[in-house]
Amino acid sequence: MFWTVTQSLFNGFITTVELFALTLLFSLPLGLIFSFASMSKVKPVKWLMKTFIWIIRGTPLMLQLVVFYYGPGLLGAGADKILTDLTTNGSEFISALYEWSPSIGIFAANAAIDVLEFFASFHTYDRFISALVAFVINYSCYFSEIYRGGIESISRGQYEAGQVLGMTKAQVFFKVVLLQVVKRIIAPMSNEIITLVKDTSLARTIAVYEIIWAGQRFIKSDGLLWPLFYTAAFYLIFCGLLTILFGKLEKKLDYFRS
Amino acid sequence: MKKFLAIMLCMLMVVSVFAACGSKNDTSKTEDKKDAMDIINADGEEEDVAVADIDAVKEAGKLVIGITEYEPMNFKDENDEWTGFDTEFALAFCEKLGVTAEFTVIDWDNKYTELDAKSIDCIWNGMTITDEGKLNASISNPYVKNAQVVVMANDVLADYADVASMADLEFAVESGSAGAQVAADEGLNAVEVVDQATALQEVASGSVDACIIDITMANAMTGEGTSYADYGYSVELSAEEYGVAFRKNSDLTEEFNTAMATMMSDGTLDALAEKYELTLVK
Repeated sequence: MFWTVTQSLFNGFITTVELFALTLLFSLPLGLIFSFASMSKVKPVKWLMKTFIWIIRGTPLMLQLVVFYYGPGLLGAGADKILTDLTTNGSEFISALYEWSPSIGIFAANAAIDVLEFFASFHTYDRFISALVAFVINYSCYFSEIYRGGIESISRGQYEAGQVLGMTKAQVFFKVVLLQVVKRIIAPMSNEIITLVKDTSLARTIAVYEIIWAGQRFIKSDGLLWPLFYTAAFYLIFCGLLTILFGKLEKKLDYFRS
Repeated sequence: MKKFLAIMLCMLMVVSVFAACGSKNDTSKTEDKKDAMDIINADGEEEDVAVADIDAVKEAGKLVIGITEYEPMNFKDENDEWTGFDTEFALAFCEKLGVTAEFTVIDWDNKYTELDAKSIDCIWNGMTITDEGKLNASISNPYVKNAQVVVMANDVLADYADVASMADLEFAVESGSAGAQVAADEGLNAVEVVDQATALQEVASGSVDACIIDITMANAMTGEGTSYADYGYSVELSAEEYGVAFRKNSDLTEEFNTAMATMMSDGTLDALAEKYELTLVK
């Protein structure tokens, strides 16, 4: 039994690690783009980004998962329902429009059909992909704020020095500023990344079969409780490895100490 | 110049996103384009719109069935294949429809959302027919009998022979379940938890005295070889029935009821019920 459980949990753990790794892969760069947008000198871009970050950080990730997975399907089914209702029961408004002017009536009816058919084509997409999108967007928002803090903490003098040496703005950012930012944000980032490892368990709400799901399965099918607690071992080992990795990275960047 | 380039790139991205959406629209199955005159010439009489699920299912070639792992209804055999009463029943129904059955394990809390979002076509997993179910879905005729039982430690089981003796006990029930309904009807003190397995956990941890769960679940989860070897049940609180849930107004419900009536009369279901030790609703 122990071996069967370990195998089953390991399969779930692979999904957990995939979700974790892919989320990092996409959200690390996307977070940087978000942070630029939220520091943009163009006011509409800045406020749009800030509002977006407010919405994503201000709502539970679990809710976002539900919206990203079920949202398109519910929208599609809803539009489909309205469309069938409209074509079987008709609309008084459009009929009246038709009586007043046939061409406008037909135009309105066709427009309604086109719009509804467009939305009716929405359906639920792959569970894992939907979860990934939700995680990437959520984590990009958190990362962007950490990046922003790091970038804004670099003194003006560094930029001015770069300018004096004849570097372009991009050169100053990538060759002078970025690595110092990395050094400064490594502690908050490692915090967030370790949280991500455990947050992946939320994907079970939309039936992505990750490790907690695999552990809970045994409660219902075999009446066994211990597999659920056994999942902790997988998380602990993984987070332990990440902690060591971040420790090493921090040491490597030590030469920045002033 | 750079700004201009950046703006151009952004616009290109937006356009490509729209193009991607458009191409998806093309591949979707709108076999008969609706005509504007359908709307204009409608007689204005309100008709209930049936959801044409049979056509959609036949076109997809598969019926997506939302389940949870639940002995003896849907569970994995030694070859890791789905088996159980509902599994075999569903396979037989799909064969009649001429489609394949696709079993998807879902989060039970989200079952109606899954149904509405069309990620599944039906919930077919020993689902007790409740008023809540009828509000959210179109429920088939009942097929199997079930009961709610009181599970508690074996050593105190003998002290509580009927509901009247349980007035002072604390119960755990699954939120929104048939068990929760019974507890409310009988006026028992009950804590609502997320699922039946958690209700059992509450009993085991000592935070409550007993829980009210399905008899099928109690058979599978208590007794020797489980984490609840010292627990059992004796009192049956209410009789109830299992049904299959389809989307509201779905034409599959009627199709299912007809098919089931045939399977009831030709003995297919009797054989299955005997195999899995269940009682049919006849």
